[in-house]
Amino acid sequence: MVKAYRQEHVYKHPWERVSAASWRKFADPENKRILSHILEVDTLNRKLDTETGKLHTTRALTIHAPGPWFLHRIIGQDICHCVESTVVDGKSRSMQLTTKNISLKKFIEVEERIRYDPHPDNPSAWTVCSQETSIRIKPLSALASMAEKVEQKCAEKFMQNSAKGREVMERICKYMEAESARI
Amino acid sequence: MGLLKKKDSTSARSSTSPCADLRNAYHNCFNKWYSEKFVKGQWDKEECVAEWKKYRDCLSENLDGKLLTRILEVDGELNPTKQDADSKESSS
Repeated sequence: MVKAYRQEHVYKHPWERVSAASWRKFADPENKRILSHILEVDTLNRKLDTETGKLHTTRALTIHAPGPWFLHRIIGQDICHCVESTVVDGKSRSMQLTTKNISLKKFIEVEERIRYDPHPDNPSAWTVCSQETSIRIKPLSALASMAEKVEQKCAEKFMQNSAKGREVMERICKYMEAESARI
Repeated sequence: MGLLKKKDSTSARSSTSPCADLRNAYHNCFNKWYSEKFVKGQWDKEECVAEWKKYRDCLSENLDGKLLTRILEVDGELNPTKQDADSKESSS
């Protein structure tokens, strides 16, 4: 069984600023308090295609993901590692991120896709962020009997974290806007 | 903690990774390059090469082996063959 949901958000900031904010989202010291579930972010690989203007990056995220007490009993850990693969197309002004969990795969598979594109109604000044998340409890895992409940709980958590992420992004964008006005 | 080999399992959660300083140096360089050059169309050459090399070497030395295998597996799923991905992207 898969639980999937989509969200869309419009940033009233140009794509250049929003995509730059995305890179800073987890490391920004002021905002670490809000995104406290993100413990570490490491860049594992990067590749710039100097002809096409495409930037490929792979990052590893270490996330604190505690669940209800019984979940911890079954899973045995509350730290989860994820891999985030990003492609930024400088020419078409598009940024796509795909994040998947690498730990806890026996129990659960989560895939999150985020895209940042110029807003069709105002491509030079606004950016659309569309996000798709799918959550799947592995059928034969120890969680299978409570799959629906766990998926629901996970979805709620992700929605909360997405909202926090957007809040952080908006702050960073405002900060960058103020900085560029000063120059 | 994080991606690196466990040294002391009783150490505080907020213990800094041995590569944290090098990571910050690289990320700061990258963020600057991205905002000031890449998004303005200046992608003709790699930058932050020295910072990247130092950081990457630190990670290679300290990365937990089991975890690395799993990371590479999932990265393989996300990027089936970079060439395939590239040709799909260029035709869209």
